[in-house]
Amino acid sequence: MTSQEDNELVARAVSGQDTAAFGELVRRHQSHVRNFLRKLSGDYSLADDLAQDCFLHAWDKLQTYSGRGSFIGWLLKVAYTTFLQSKRKSKRYAEILESAGQVADQESRSKVVENEEITDLDKFLAVLTEEERAIMVMSYACGLSHREIGDATDLPVGTVKSVIFRGKDKIRNRFDIKDHKHG
Amino acid sequence: MVERMKDAEDRLLESMFDSPPIADDGFSVQVVRKVNKQLWFRRLTLPVAAIIGGVIAFKPLAGLVSLLASLFTLIPQDAVSMATSSIPQFQTIVLGAVLLIAGLIGLRMIEH
Repeated sequence: MTSQEDNELVARAVSGQDTAAFGELVRRHQSHVRNFLRKLSGDYSLADDLAQDCFLHAWDKLQTYSGRGSFIGWLLKVAYTTFLQSKRKSKRYAEILESAGQVADQESRSKVVENEEITDLDKFLAVLTEEERAIMVMSYACGLSHREIGDATDLPVGTVKSVIFRGKDKIRNRFDIKDHKHG
Repeated sequence: MVERMKDAEDRLLESMFDSPPIADDGFSVQVVRKVNKQLWFRRLTLPVAAIIGGVIAFKPLAGLVSLLASLFTLIPQDAVSMATSSIPQFQTIVLGAVLLIAGLIGLRMIEH
């Protein structure tokens, strides 16, 4: 999976409205995008719906991809924006926010995953704020560089570094991360 | 994805955040189907809107044309013949059209 191949597929999709080339891009990156959204939302079916929306937005905006950064970095930016937009639209989320703030966010995450096996990663993610969660997942699950995360979240590289530092600190203080169950 | 300096803790966190790849299971096919549907919808929107607009506008347009025709009968005959004589002859129009087409073809060839 090289970025050169990605760029060629993007060029084919943009120049000829080639949906087969775009389909190949989706096939290559769906796992990363769905994993990112699953970890961010904690809800598998919502994450898959958001991933579909993300790829539809990506198709609409494909000509704005300049080819400078990695395609997956650009795609995760679209995914993160899609997630934030959907959250803003969600009335239910607004009600939760109004009633109990951040605590409710963490509680709703635990409710969502109650039918699944709760891994250490779920516990770690629950103690992080949304921004920290997104940045930590981009960094440690998707392997994006600090610069790529900065591009995806519209934050300066210095802020990205300090958010990661803060996230690591929270996890370190709450858990013994040496003895963990893989997420 | 540039490799950055990683310590043991970073590697541990990476292994914790690591999850098995999600199988496609028709996901990409579904997305492409939606994209195709969206493309067709966009392609059809303009012609369909033009047809609907034409159907809606037909009756008032026909009324306007008949009104203009009735107004035309009110114009004095002298004025009408004067205006007709100022319109270029058929041959001139054909010559102009031929020159225009030749010019456009020439421009296109230069562009290529």
